[in-house]
Amino acid sequence: MVQRLSSSLFLLLLAFTSTVHGQAVLPVDGAKLYDEKCASCHGKSGRGDGKYAGFLSPRPRDFTSGRYKFRSTETGSLPTDADLVTSITAGLHSTSMPAWKPFLSQEQVLAVVVHIKTFSPRFASEQPRSIAMAPEPAQTPQNIEKGRAAYEKLKCAACHGVDGRGTGAIAQALKDDWGRPTRATNLTEPWSFRGGRTVRDIYLRFRTGMNGTPMPSFIEASTEQELWQLAVFVSTMGRRPLWEMKGDEVANFYKAQQQESSSDIVEHGEYIASVAGCAFCHSPFRDDDTMIEELKFAGGQRFRVNPFGDFISYNLTSDKETGLGGWTDDQIKTFVTKGVRRDGTRMIPYPMPWPNFAHMKPADLDALVAFLRSLPPVSNRIPPPARPNIVSYLVGKFRMLILQQDPPLNTYAGNAGEGGR
Amino acid sequence: MKKFLKWLGIAVAVAAVAGFLAFLYFIPPFDSIPPEEISRGAGEAGPDLAAIADPGERAIAERGRYLVTIGSCADCHATPGPQGPQLKEMYLAGGMKVSRRGVGTHISMNLTPDAETGLGKWSDDDIKRVLRNGLAPDGRAIPGHVMPWPAFSNWTEEDRHAVVTYLRHTRPIAHRIPTPTPDVVVSDPTAQDEGLGGKDYAAADAR
Repeated sequence: MVQRLSSSLFLLLLAFTSTVHGQAVLPVDGAKLYDEKCASCHGKSGRGDGKYAGFLSPRPRDFTSGRYKFRSTETGSLPTDADLVTSITAGLHSTSMPAWKPFLSQEQVLAVVVHIKTFSPRFASEQPRSIAMAPEPAQTPQNIEKGRAAYEKLKCAACHGVDGRGTGAIAQALKDDWGRPTRATNLTEPWSFRGGRTVRDIYLRFRTGMNGTPMPSFIEASTEQELWQLAVFVSTMGRRPLWEMKGDEVANFYKAQQQESSSDIVEHGEYIASVAGCAFCHSPFRDDDTMIEELKFAGGQRFRVNPFGDFISYNLTSDKETGLGGWTDDQIKTFVTKGVRRDGTRMIPYPMPWPNFAHMKPADLDALVAFLRSLPPVSNRIPPPARPNIVSYLVGKFRMLILQQDPPLNTYAGNAGEGGR
Repeated sequence: MKKFLKWLGIAVAVAAVAGFLAFLYFIPPFDSIPPEEISRGAGEAGPDLAAIADPGERAIAERGRYLVTIGSCADCHATPGPQGPQLKEMYLAGGMKVSRRGVGTHISMNLTPDAETGLGKWSDDDIKRVLRNGLAPDGRAIPGHVMPWPAFSNWTEEDRHAVVTYLRHTRPIAHRIPTPTPDVVVSDPTAQDEGLGGKDYAAADAR
């Protein structure tokens, strides 16, 4: 039924796009559109390795794998065209995948879908196997209770926690099919459910599994009805979002959040590092702007601050010889907040914006240090700052201070450190 | 006597040149200003949030200010002046220039709520979208190595909401930012890009 529905939907869309007002329209170049709109994250070859991919969490989909999280098809099966259209038009919430609906016509979306399917040979040889879907049950107290029982029976708490906050016993160890650490979704924040927050959306995640992630399909372990009831239950787990809070509720929320963050200080520190944008300068980039990911946080990006000279971003990993492994907590904090190095020399107020970090809360600073300590050691020796020769320095200063010309700040591709592995 | 005056003149001239060079060499005297004094401006920048009546909204805006501060937004988005970003007078009004190979030349945007030249007419979702994926309301892709949105793309929904709430409470400043141009001027042929921030490039380009 669903398969027929989705394929007829596709045919309908196709019919709509191939003729407008009875006239044939030129076909959209899906490959060109993909290169323009999608490749910066998903990569030209569809491997999910575009120039911004190194920053993004979750990572952009690797289309060559043919594995998709958001489907209406059996686990392990390909998605339907309608599934792909939905992911593109509605976007994936709380990720960098935007809802493209306002920006692309249906015709363009379909052209991109056709192109995306060319990245995996599976689409040529297999058909998506759509699931048969029972009607959605009502949100009655009985169904919620039965869903709660299913939550226990299916051991959802092992990853998502008894309270649904994604802090179950094995949540820390989760990895996706590509070996990257991944997190169990916090079920109390339904606005962050990537594939949507309706009961149907939630049901589909249990029913079809989220292929490529540790989230399996539960259809073998339970009945269709139980999964629907579980979806009804999960849809009631959501807490109030910040934007609906009033008065003192907000202060209490922030207080609780701060207390909670002290329970996993490394994870909180990782978040603080992403607020401060540390990786943007403390990782080297290639000529094509892709991050050299083996050296993420290992520094090596070169900045020329005219006329003060060359500054290479420091190796923040825990490497004893070349990173922060040999620094004490206080030395790290002093540099981050005051720009004073271990040897007592001073950093100018840029490009490292320590004057801003001076305002970091002590608890956040502690967490940031804990996170940096947790980074696996990568050897990359960073040369000390190099002042230009005295003539260039004086000429630069003269231009800057007397002629009031604006001295440029340049950045350079490649790793300026000595090392890499 | 004449000879003596001549030599005195030369000595004075040499001393003056040496003194001037020494002066050039040592200013601006970052090393002699305590770090706390350098960082004070970043802490004092921005609006007085005590004026917000609702304690809930005030707390959200405070969080937004914290994120904007340690996210270093104002380093590029406060209008640059000879002494660095003008954190007081032109807070978040934009005007810094970045020219990047393969990307073009961009002037940092005006983030104040001014309706004509700032974010006044942008919806909350428009602002949040840029912070997630660099897509402007008109569908234009804002390059991630000019505005480092990829580095900021993992902020929670609630923190992005706090940032938007805070931006809405900053003082609206009329400061028109020119649209990006495809031309690239980088003075060093080996450099990937060039940032310029000693003056207001929005005004320079508007002339």
